Amino acid sequence: MQIFINNKPYEANASEKILDVARRNGIEIPTLCHSEALPGLASCRLCMVEVKENGRTGQVAACTHPVAEGIEVNTESELIAHHRKTLLQLYYLMAPQSKRIKAMLSYYHVPAFDRLPADKDNKCILCGLCTKACSELGTNAISTLNRGTDKKVGTAFDEPAITCIGCGACASICPTEAIEMSEQDGKRTIWEKTFQLLRCSDCGEYFTTPEALAHVRQKLGERAGKIEELQLCEHCKTKKTATKLKDGLKLEEVFDSLAK
Amino acid sequence: MKEESQIAVETLEIAQKYRPEERFLLAILQDVQRYYNYLPKEAMETVAQYLDVPIVKVCAIATFYKAFSLKPKGKYIIKVCDGTACHIKGSVNLITEIKNILGIEPGETTADGLFSLETVNCVGACGLAPVAVIGEEYHGNLTPASLREILKKYQGGMENAK
Amino acid sequence: MQNKKAVFVCCGTGCLANGSGEIYNAFQKQIKKLGLDVEVIPKIKKTGCHGLCQKGPLVHITPQEITYIHVKATDVAEIVERSIIKDEVIDRLLYFDKQQKAKIQSKEDWTFEKKQYRIALRNCGKIANDSIDDYLEKDGYKALEKVLKTMTGQEVIAEIKESGLRGRGGGGFPTGIKWSLAAKAIGDTKYVICNGDEGDPGAFMDRSILEGDPHTVLEGMAICAYAIGAKRAFLYIRDEYGLAVKNMRQAIATAKERGFLGENILGTDFTFDAEVVRGGGAFVCGEETSLLHSIEGSTGEPSPKPPYPADKGLWGQPTIINNVETWANVPVIINKGADWFASIGSEKSKGTKVFALVGKINNTGLVEVPMGITLREIIFEIGGGIPQKRKFKAVQTGGPSGGCIPEDKLDLSVDFDSLIAEGSMMGSGGMIVIDDRTCMVEFARYYLQFLSEESCGKCVPCREGIKSMLAILDDICEGKGKPGDIELLAEIGAMVQANSLCGLGKTAPNPVLSNIKNFRDEFEAHINEKRCPAGVCKNLTKFYIDAQTCIGCGACLKSCPVEAISGEKKKAHILDEAKCITCGNCRDFCRVDAICVR
Repeated sequence: MQIFINNKPYEANASEKILDVARRNGIEIPTLCHSEALPGLASCRLCMVEVKENGRTGQVAACTHPVAEGIEVNTESELIAHHRKTLLQLYYLMAPQSKRIKAMLSYYHVPAFDRLPADKDNKCILCGLCTKACSELGTNAISTLNRGTDKKVGTAFDEPAITCIGCGACASICPTEAIEMSEQDGKRTIWEKTFQLLRCSDCGEYFTTPEALAHVRQKLGERAGKIEELQLCEHCKTKKTATKLKDGLKLEEVFDSLAK
Repeated sequence: MKEESQIAVETLEIAQKYRPEERFLLAILQDVQRYYNYLPKEAMETVAQYLDVPIVKVCAIATFYKAFSLKPKGKYIIKVCDGTACHIKGSVNLITEIKNILGIEPGETTADGLFSLETVNCVGACGLAPVAVIGEEYHGNLTPASLREILKKYQGGMENAK
Repeated sequence: MQNKKAVFVCCGTGCLANGSGEIYNAFQKQIKKLGLDVEVIPKIKKTGCHGLCQKGPLVHITPQEITYIHVKATDVAEIVERSIIKDEVIDRLLYFDKQQKAKIQSKEDWTFEKKQYRIALRNCGKIANDSIDDYLEKDGYKALEKVLKTMTGQEVIAEIKESGLRGRGGGGFPTGIKWSLAAKAIGDTKYVICNGDEGDPGAFMDRSILEGDPHTVLEGMAICAYAIGAKRAFLYIRDEYGLAVKNMRQAIATAKERGFLGENILGTDFTFDAEVVRGGGAFVCGEETSLLHSIEGSTGEPSPKPPYPADKGLWGQPTIINNVETWANVPVIINKGADWFASIGSEKSKGTKVFALVGKINNTGLVEVPMGITLREIIFEIGGGIPQKRKFKAVQTGGPSGGCIPEDKLDLSVDFDSLIAEGSMMGSGGMIVIDDRTCMVEFARYYLQFLSEESCGKCVPCREGIKSMLAILDDICEGKGKPGDIELLAEIGAMVQANSLCGLGKTAPNPVLSNIKNFRDEFEAHINEKRCPAGVCKNLTKFYIDAQTCIGCGACLKSCPVEAISGEKKKAHILDEAKCITCGNCRDFCRVDAICVR
């Protein structure tokens, strides 16, 4: 189907959202809570755009609003830009130290806001990406707790989580560097729990915890072959895959061979 | 303080009135809350196991909904209505009075465990504003002075202070 | 048997709070004690809300049609003696109607009732709240029978569409259209849900229907289930409504016993079952997607729409969610026809609406009026005006999602669209009347405080926007307001309205923006002059006694908790500003309005 963004026509598939089409065509729409792997959170509300649909105009979140034949999207109307600045000022109050937020404030020329005090030590914007990652990729060790302005991300009873495997998915997906993960002397500490780290069987660098590796093995089930083959760091795994592809193997064969 | 395993046994009995389906999480926790007057940690863990849901999810539910309390509540829960009708008729003064007499703010319990104070939104008795519900008893047309008298009766051990 | 007397004791939560439970028991006891002739023994029924909560506990006696107000347990013996055994009327227990300037025997003739038209509340107060037989006597389940035996699902939907019924929970979406979307949607298991999460402070319409006439809700839902192809229903009732939960559970059980719920209803192949789900104590669960998540066993955080529940709702299946009052209208529309319903109300808002009229009003209670009536008629005719002859300032409609309508707009017609055009909304029906003793800045702050505690916290505009607006309003009420604050509130408010994920956030700024629009001078006084004209915000209020007006009665002196007032009898009293804590007690007691705000 065809949709219009900023008066230009673009091809779109029925299952897509406005943001998918925009990003594919290099049209800028800012986001904080969006992730290709974990879409649909719709909590940051930075991706708002104006849409004219069925004769009515309104403001919607591009990340979750489905495309439809002939809709007209405006990503930079005066109203959208104005509200975006106001919203970014609130982000500043929430997480003034975050690199990404500082970059957005500068990029969108957001005026300084000092009427209310900023939360200088806070970086979390409660987007929900970490808890979703833990729920879908990990072991449900963290969740959002409480409600409203008391909302926070934490573990059960604020104690080190029994189920946490130290995989670090939460820290890596966080858009504002709010989750602390420290590594020292072959140990990793995250959410107040300390883990041993395993060495990559190829390059010898520390890369993950035994618990996280066991979790991956369990998820792969039958296809998880000898555990040594899985014990490769990101870098070496990529290198191995690229080599096999270069050698002319098809992608499925590469995956099968990696799992054996 | 009950033995941990006893709480687990009692909680399981409560939970087993429902099929182990995730949708009954709230209902089971509400029954547990009513039984213990709060949600003991061991009870929450038992429920998580029974329904096969992550314990942190049970914590999320327990901290999201106002029906639940993670700390034991007082023998008499004073619910001062701060619905609009009661608010404009001075419910704030009642809350101040309770702070003066009992030394607790909304959400707190007295040291002797006798009273807990909560503000609630509209108990539906707007014709009697301002209203406070103590235990199951409704008290209407309150003033700080009349509230003081009513509290004295509860402190004296009278269940029905009307 | 037709002349057998019946006593209807209001046992809605309001009257129960005022002791009507004891009155019901007293009637039972007295009848037993007297050992009356079987012919004379009246039926004593516990009913739902009679309407005029201000005058409760209310007792109504048929067939003489006598209504007694402010009844006490100690009155019961006299009532039995004089109005049950004999046919007398006890004058002192009758309602004195100020407008008609006379004591009126029956509530049907009160000025309070004259402009009302009860459809959703038709049975409340007239049937025992625990009797399916009473419900059947009032044409109960006849609509369901008509639908199952003579109509197709499409015909039912067409009838609801034609009636013009719009959702009564606040959204005002055309009910028939919603049902047709669910009927068309693809899904092997469809659901019907009753939104009984009534969370607006000051609103108790839904509670009264659930307590007083639970079967009408079940019947409405069964009719919808038939029309869209659903078999299961959930009634989500807020946790705080203990009596509503109890009465609804009992209604479901008796309906099943009599074959109006369950399998092969009324001898057809229609199967329908219903279950009560208790809310967990969260205002946000009134939002439909939050409500669904709550039923599914999760936290009540909303989801983006589209997809809409009619398409993908409970557990991803097509689901119809309607408000209690909407359901209560359905059986009547089927029985009396779409044309009849469409003849009531205004052009785009058909039928009636139940309002909870509360606050600074003489006749506090539930009223049901045809849409299109004016606010003035509701407040001054039905409501009987402002107590103590104080001045009307505004009426708040739509709860925390609405706004205040000032005096110059009192001739506004009450319907969905007119109120929205005025910057408010009808909402679920809470109507709070305020007088000159209410500060519009503090009132806006009150609603934001409520919403800040009830926001689920998922999206930034709502969570952080409300927090910021509340911080600014707190400052203003404490005398720390700064120039530019009003513009800042408007700016943040506009963004929150546009960017929030759900209805709670989208409408959260309404009370603030509406009050700024209509009472900007009060905001300016707080910010620029550090003064609260209404005399509510303690830091910005100074009381003094107007020597010309004061009659020296001493009532204020006695009422002052800090002895800040002094004076001799019949001589003008003096208020010591240094001692005064601005609690306002003296103003409550002064009969001549001598205590003023600087």
